[in-house]
Amino acid sequence: MQRNSRMKSLTGLIVATALLAVIVGPSTASAQDVAVGQATATVLAVLAVTATHDLVFGDVLQGVPKTADKTLVADAGVFQVSGAGGKEVTLYMQLPDYLWNSTNEDRLVIAFSSTGADIDTTAAGTPAAHGAGAIVDQDPHNLPDTNIGATDNILQIYLGGTVYPTVDQRADAYTADIILTVAYTGS
Amino acid sequence: MDSKIEYPRQTKTIGWRGILFALSVFLLSISDLSAGVLVAPTSVILTETKRTGRLTVQNPTDKPKEVTIHFSFGVPLSDSLGDVKISLQDSAITDPRSAVDWIKAFPRKMVLAPNSSQVVRFVARPPRDLPDGEYWARVVIRSQEGETSIPAASDQEKITTRLNMIMQTAIALKYRTGNLISKLEVVSTETKLVDSAVSILIDMVNRGNVSYIGLLQCRLVDAKGKIISKGQVDLAVYRDLKRRIVLPVAGENLQKPYKVEVAIATEGRTDIAAEDLIAGNSIEYSALVE
Repeated sequence: MQRNSRMKSLTGLIVATALLAVIVGPSTASAQDVAVGQATATVLAVLAVTATHDLVFGDVLQGVPKTADKTLVADAGVFQVSGAGGKEVTLYMQLPDYLWNSTNEDRLVIAFSSTGADIDTTAAGTPAAHGAGAIVDQDPHNLPDTNIGATDNILQIYLGGTVYPTVDQRADAYTADIILTVAYTGS
Repeated sequence: MDSKIEYPRQTKTIGWRGILFALSVFLLSISDLSAGVLVAPTSVILTETKRTGRLTVQNPTDKPKEVTIHFSFGVPLSDSLGDVKISLQDSAITDPRSAVDWIKAFPRKMVLAPNSSQVVRFVARPPRDLPDGEYWARVVIRSQEGETSIPAASDQEKITTRLNMIMQTAIALKYRTGNLISKLEVVSTETKLVDSAVSILIDMVNRGNVSYIGLLQCRLVDAKGKIISKGQVDLAVYRDLKRRIVLPVAGENLQKPYKVEVAIATEGRTDIAAEDLIAGNSIEYSALVE
């Protein structure tokens, strides 16, 4: 009984929120029409790409390669793609070969392994504890088309890498860009 | 060809499913995006009578975001295995269907304050005597942190690193003019039983003058007509495309030979406004599993 009551309350809440979403969410709900006996709604999907954690190497010593592990929460670079659950997206990552120092006079080699990325389609998953159905050990240079998780409307990419400082690498701050491009394959 | 399949999909009356989808999108927009830029809609359609369009870029975070807009050319292309990629081309575009050179966006660069949004408008200035059909571009929305900091080394002899995580969303932009034809042809279908799954590879060619946007649905049935499994994928065929669907074989007392029932139609897409879809031909057939 209590469960039924809870379900009714939940259903009421869902309906109220849905109506609110359709009415006040012009950026996500594009059109509303009324048919006899039924509500009609055509909804335009959204797509969002987020970097929720940087790829972190911490302090690096001359001559000592340092790896940021894709399975360590503190190290892994994490991209998050949010959109329509179950829809397929193509993922393209542009990865640097070097990081450059502040004066562009010295460069630091960076490499990404052919198994350096994991793809998780759950919101609860972390680099250390992936959700069910995670696709592991993917080549970040050639990520597969993947469906956005149907349950959480999300997809996460965990990325690791290694920097190789030379013995005479200048002590400095080195930077580079990692670019993730996402597109729906069905439009 | 076999036309036994009945799919209860609708184009105009989505009902509760549409409302629940709206709810999920709404909740997504207010909850999950803790640090990203949100783009809607996911495709922009311009026509000869409506040469302007818009999309909204929203920053739901508490940090400013630097956003730039540019155009690229890229259509879904597949490899021999049916895996699809969209390769974006920024320059030296020679494709006659490219609209990149004559589409403009305003503004093209902005810093979005926390919890703010910006409407980006598009205008098409196509060349005269453009042949009938559809012309394509990808709107690339690039976002990164508006304020970046380079971590200081804890020791002057140490090296510090900073990798700027830059996000790009590529949205389809289409310009339509004249008489529009949406027509698809299936060239071949390969089915293969591998371990406990059936792999279906469908080779398609676009015979129209617009991209064929629709839904590809497959059902795996046994000799008695019992449905073993089914799957579907959104379809966007600009020229030719191979799509692979893998259906699991699971269940008891299944009788061979298995059969795959395929249905392709422009109906059933809930992520694109009905007025933006060009109705095309429907294809239904079945193929024996080898």
